[in-house]
Amino acid sequence: MALIVATILLPLVPLVIQSFTRGYVFPQLVPAEWSTRAWSIVLATDGGTWKALGWSVAVAATVTALALLVAVPAGRVLGLRTFRGRRVLEFLVLTPLLVPAVAVGIGLDITFIRLGLSGTFWGVVLVHLIPAAPYAVLILAGVFANYNEDLEVQARTLGAGPLNVLRHVTMPAIMPGLIVAGFFAFIVSWSQYVLTLQIGGGKVLTLPVLLVSTASGGDVAITGALTIVYALPVLALLVVTSHHVVRAGLGVTGT
Amino acid sequence: MKSFGTVRATLRTDGAVHPGRLLGRLTELHRLALLIVALAAVAVGCSGGQSATDATSNPDDWEAVLNAARGQTIDLYMWGGSSEINRFVDRTYGPILEQEFGITLNRVPVADTVDAVNKVLAELQAGRNEGGSVDLIWINGENFYTLRQANALVGDWALQIPNARFVDWDSVAVNRDFGLAVDGSESPLGSAQFQFVYDSARIDEDSLPRSYIELGEWIAAHPGRFTYPAPPAFHGTRFVKQAFYELTGGVDPWLGSFDETAFVEGSAGLWDYLTEINPDLWRSGRTFPPDIASLNRLFANGEVDFTFTQLPGGIQAEIDAGVLPATARPFVFDTGTIGDFHYLAIPTNAGDSEAAMVLANLVLTPTLQAAKLDPTNGWGDGLAISLDLVQGEDRIALQRVMDNLAGAAVSFDRLEAVRLPEVNQEYTLRLEHDWDVFIRQSRLAG
Repeated sequence: MALIVATILLPLVPLVIQSFTRGYVFPQLVPAEWSTRAWSIVLATDGGTWKALGWSVAVAATVTALALLVAVPAGRVLGLRTFRGRRVLEFLVLTPLLVPAVAVGIGLDITFIRLGLSGTFWGVVLVHLIPAAPYAVLILAGVFANYNEDLEVQARTLGAGPLNVLRHVTMPAIMPGLIVAGFFAFIVSWSQYVLTLQIGGGKVLTLPVLLVSTASGGDVAITGALTIVYALPVLALLVVTSHHVVRAGLGVTGT
Repeated sequence: MKSFGTVRATLRTDGAVHPGRLLGRLTELHRLALLIVALAAVAVGCSGGQSATDATSNPDDWEAVLNAARGQTIDLYMWGGSSEINRFVDRTYGPILEQEFGITLNRVPVADTVDAVNKVLAELQAGRNEGGSVDLIWINGENFYTLRQANALVGDWALQIPNARFVDWDSVAVNRDFGLAVDGSESPLGSAQFQFVYDSARIDEDSLPRSYIELGEWIAAHPGRFTYPAPPAFHGTRFVKQAFYELTGGVDPWLGSFDETAFVEGSAGLWDYLTEINPDLWRSGRTFPPDIASLNRLFANGEVDFTFTQLPGGIQAEIDAGVLPATARPFVFDTGTIGDFHYLAIPTNAGDSEAAMVLANLVLTPTLQAAKLDPTNGWGDGLAISLDLVQGEDRIALQRVMDNLAGAAVSFDRLEAVRLPEVNQEYTLRLEHDWDVFIRQSRLAG
């Protein structure tokens, strides 16, 4: 466990150091000059970081919710039913991940402009669903493959209505998978640069878009600070969800 | 659409085998499809219609422009790589626009101006001829050329805005952008001039190379200590073009329209020169830094001895930011350096073109030009206006900033004395193309 945490956090250490320096260059081993300049610029209320953070959270959260909404029924069919053509369908679900995002984005941009979706929140959400939804569907298909439908039948026999079945049987059983799928959808949306730039066009200015334009200037202190702002929410989410996954894992799953 | 057909085909085959079970499965898939369609519909609905705009007001009637601009939000697309420049724009222009003109400034940072150009072209291609998302672009050279060729820029306005009286529109340097007539379709924001940067703690000023010939000798004597960004990166193209001027005996033969025969003949010496220095470049010339930010980093880390700057006001802002060492100093070759202007342009489909004009006019205010020139305010950008056209106190204030630039700047007289013009865009494109063939590719082959 400690090893995993170290693997995740160690790469961030140089960034943290870098973000508190000014003119930290080779061959200095220890920075010659410490400074909070980068942080005061990055965290300044008029600097755009907070707005970008807001956009990123709103987009990623919406994408996660919509991806799960699509993925639960789709994953259930793919995981529980055997039918001719299932493999083809699975492949089709995967296709958005096989085509480069740039190619998709250029074509979609024109369509989205015509639909009035370009440069809007919902346009960006929709385009993020293209790479995000397949991950969620695949993960939930895996979860449902190990799911025993008989439990639902039993609950129905004992008098539970559809809603109670969903609440007390289905949801607890698939919860760990739901969290993992949601986490993946969130991360995929959180890290989209090309599609956000193409469809968002600078109006929907998420953290990756801000980060790349900042990095083009070569100020490592500011880039470092912004990268930490970008990485922290995902790390926090990882901590929170891993806890849930472990706890839920002790519950109903594992048929 | 092809995938949809495949799904249907799959279902049909399926159904033929198990007609009884098809219904249930279809319903599940159906629900999924319906859900997606519904979501798309919601999204389209939520996005709302773009606010339709009236035709652009005529800048002749400035009062009308100001009235129309009130309440508008300018989407200013500009390169966002310098936090200092970003802050200068947000904190200098933002409050004035808001308080005096009732305009909101929305600065959109892009990693490369070409992103904004592509945005405009894509919107026009899709038939969005008004209410477009880009109101104003910080632009020059190739990007201006692209949009102008596509008839994507509002014309004439730049000559008619009130502060155009401070701009020397008679100067070829201003009224032609990379050889292409501006015709009032962009208004200057500032000026730049190509300079070399060295570290005074490492190299004695007297031993600096002062021409490309001397630079060649310097590189041979110090292998691995020099490189330049690979064209078409802006500074790389500048470096190559300036060498082209010097090695062909000056800029004069190239001021007209593109001449293929003369170019091929003249540029042969340039490719010989660049091929000759190449093995002694950083990493033996096998690779080049992709942009000026990377070259600055190599310079700051002591891997190479020179980098470049475009700022006539000097590099103090970059020193303060820690991007360049405190002992870095700019210098220029005796054989001349290229100076040019950069501009603000309004796309034909801009949704808030009046507000865009107000900002383009505002940046030409002499006191604000002085503030932009002063690197302690974060920028150090050259003047867009001509000192001769400014009178009274404003002129004194401008002169004071020009005289008091910190030590990390080349004097204005010196810059003026060695300034060379830009040439036709075709020469630039051709230099970039041939550099790729003669230098980059031949290095790969050899």
